[in-house]
Amino acid sequence: MLSDAFLRKLELLTLLPRGRAHGQLRGMHRSRRVGTGMVFADYRPYTEGDDIRHVDWGIYLRLDRLILRLFEEEADLPIYLFLDASQSMDFGRPPKFEYGRNLAMALGYVGLLNHDRVNISAFADGLREMLPTRRGKNQAPQVFRFLNGLQPKGRTSVQSALRRYFSVPRTRGLVVLISDFLDPAGFEEAFAVLRRFRHDVVLLHVIAPDERNPELPEEVQLVDAEEGTTLEVELTPGLLAAYRETFARHCAEIESYCRRYGWGYAQAHTEVSFEDLVLKVLREEGVLR
Amino acid sequence: MRFLGLAPGLAWGLLAGVAALVVLFYLLKPAPRRLRVASNLVWQRLLKERRRTPERWRWWLSLLLALTIALSIAVALTQPEVAVVSGKAQDVILVIDDSATMGAHLADGRTRLALAIERAEQMINQAGAGSRFLIADTMRQSGVPAFEAKEAALARLQHLAVVPAGRPRFPDVAHGPPPQADASQRRREVYLISDGVARFGVPDHVRFVSVLRPADNVGITAFEVRALPADARRYQAFVQITNASPGKKKAELTLTGVGAAPIKRSVQLDGGAAAGVVVDVSTFGEGPLRVSVSAEQDALALDDAAYAYLPSKSRVRLALVTPGNPALLQTLRLMPRVDVDVVPPARANEAGRYDAAIFDRLAPDRAPLVPALVIAPPSRAWLPHPGAALGETHLARWDSTHPLIEGVALRDVLIEHAQVRKPVATTGVPAFAAVAFGPHDEPLMLATREGRRLALIGFALEASNFAQQPSFPAFLANAVNWLTHEPRAQTQSIGPVSVPPNARVLDLEGKEVATRQIPEASVFDAPTPALYTAVTRDQRVRVSVNLLDPAITRINDGRHASEAAAAEAAAPRLSVDPWLLLLVAAALLLGLEWWTYNRRVTV
Repeated sequence: MLSDAFLRKLELLTLLPRGRAHGQLRGMHRSRRVGTGMVFADYRPYTEGDDIRHVDWGIYLRLDRLILRLFEEEADLPIYLFLDASQSMDFGRPPKFEYGRNLAMALGYVGLLNHDRVNISAFADGLREMLPTRRGKNQAPQVFRFLNGLQPKGRTSVQSALRRYFSVPRTRGLVVLISDFLDPAGFEEAFAVLRRFRHDVVLLHVIAPDERNPELPEEVQLVDAEEGTTLEVELTPGLLAAYRETFARHCAEIESYCRRYGWGYAQAHTEVSFEDLVLKVLREEGVLR
Repeated sequence: MRFLGLAPGLAWGLLAGVAALVVLFYLLKPAPRRLRVASNLVWQRLLKERRRTPERWRWWLSLLLALTIALSIAVALTQPEVAVVSGKAQDVILVIDDSATMGAHLADGRTRLALAIERAEQMINQAGAGSRFLIADTMRQSGVPAFEAKEAALARLQHLAVVPAGRPRFPDVAHGPPPQADASQRRREVYLISDGVARFGVPDHVRFVSVLRPADNVGITAFEVRALPADARRYQAFVQITNASPGKKKAELTLTGVGAAPIKRSVQLDGGAAAGVVVDVSTFGEGPLRVSVSAEQDALALDDAAYAYLPSKSRVRLALVTPGNPALLQTLRLMPRVDVDVVPPARANEAGRYDAAIFDRLAPDRAPLVPALVIAPPSRAWLPHPGAALGETHLARWDSTHPLIEGVALRDVLIEHAQVRKPVATTGVPAFAAVAFGPHDEPLMLATREGRRLALIGFALEASNFAQQPSFPAFLANAVNWLTHEPRAQTQSIGPVSVPPNARVLDLEGKEVATRQIPEASVFDAPTPALYTAVTRDQRVRVSVNLLDPAITRINDGRHASEAAAAEAAAPRLSVDPWLLLLVAAALLLGLEWWTYNRRVTV
């Protein structure tokens, strides 16, 4: 659970989409729609039926023409929070799932505070549980309750979860994917689903220190938590170095994919203080402001 | 493959045990610890990228390496014999010919013996690991050889030297047939390293390694000094020179004697030819006579010189007091230095005017004033008393070292009747000692031990076949020389030389030569041609020691080895023990195992 002090800090933050918001309701994010917002957008000639309150009378006096002032309409931001609840997330100290869940709570709370429509889904080898759209701070307890009720189990299949979730029409919004991305099917197919719907995407890559730098006995039989498969490995310094290099390359490939398509990417190292992650790392990454 | 360190059964058992142990260790290898991880995804990707060998293959490869290492060490402990690596361990008998011709020099200055030793060293160094060696030689320098290790055998080779004298013989120790080849018994190989010049019996199983290299040699193969039959005061030297070289040679002959300038002759000889040269050496006085031959590029020095002793030219006046004995008279007259006068028995006292006298079947009343040989004398006071009369007897035993009988064969002397003469020590009577005996040790020939020289024969020449024996002239010559104190001359071959017992031996420079005593003789070593003088209490013996052996001079009359034996003997092999190679291989494999293990190739 998040502490009250931390929640108060979160009240100052806003989730930042990379582009304009496409929400249907009024909100706090700039949108492409021109309407009754506060930010001047453009001029256009007056036509019948327009609200004469938006006529620029100064121009009329100077040019004797009726010109209408247009304003950017501020809309809400649909936020789609996906939390990996597969068995692989139940690993590390603290467990990656707990870390990811806190992250989801924090981001969901920020979204609720900003009157964004917060959608939370837990997935493993498919969509496991979904929380219907929540909006407004008063919905925070429900969000927290939902997240606290989740338990990690099952295999990972990001692709099937996203396919299923976006198989129904969804407003374009901000997709936040919290996962360790240890998907045997790879990540590119899954991410292609997000690209197809042109969402703003932020990937939060949860990494346990033992994954990045494992400390294993010389001869070990590694048991895959999800698949149950075993792998006999005889470790040497050379092999460990090669593993670290491979893992780093795995992370770099995901990050590279995100950068290529203008997505946000941040690594959430579980050994890093959660508050530091939210308040520093995510802000530096531009996920929060 | 044989095992030198362990019995075959034990060795195979050890190998099987080690192999079983290694496999058991692999089978009992504890399972690795199970550890639950979030995902094997990255590990699988890593191992796939590293082209990881399939587990089963890795296990088998690892087992194979471990087995190879363990078995290499185990096999090394058994000290195996691997013929293809270092040859077979065997008992090698190397018989080195160290006879005279092996002293011939090669073009590079080394002797054939040095080349033979070098070949032997090569064979020892190239023999299979674990081999034992027995070094023997044809001149028996090695004593009683035994099998020994490589280092000792190499050291023993260095003690070999050319033995110029003596009869080379294939050593008995190398005569035995090679043992049957079976797994538990060492194979025995016998090699003879020789130039093949010396002839001696060699068993069929012996492999011959030749060190024969053609060389030039001119040597003296015969040398004799004789008085002219017509004039006993004149002497001729007969010298035979042999050119053993392949081509024509010019040889310079030089005779050196006492009292005159050396005589030189030049001789042209075709290859393989021999020539006799007769030189009048009458200009030289009594004493040593040396002949030497010189030619270019002469390989063997041993046959380049020979010695003789030129006897005195003075004549011996001999009185033969006899009632008549034509055979004796004729024999005496044929002796070159003897002037014989026949003195009738009635004038027997006149014998005192001669250098020596022979009394045939009679004797003066008193002992003669000159040395005398008395044949079948009647009883006289100064002579040993006559004993029993013998009929139909023969000479059964005699002292062949006595100057009277030396070189004389008395075995066939048959006697019709004889008078035994027993030497009795009586004051005023010369002390006689028996030198020849009948079948029951009856003294039949006697000679004085000291004082005036007197000799007595107990049977008449007419009563025996002694005068008809071929050795009779030699006996008479011995008798005359002994009676007149003429130094005896002997001709011997180089090597051990026998002289009368307790003799002092002096060389040409008057230095005493070391002798050793054997029963009835003294022996000294004469390694090169020379002239020696053996001095005893009552005589001096001139001993001329020469090689004079055409078989040795012809140093190229040897035989070559068969190509197969030579090639096999020189077959290059590693001189490293297989067990050492195995240990090195095990160490290398350990390194390989470490390398593969760290690269996850093996488990």
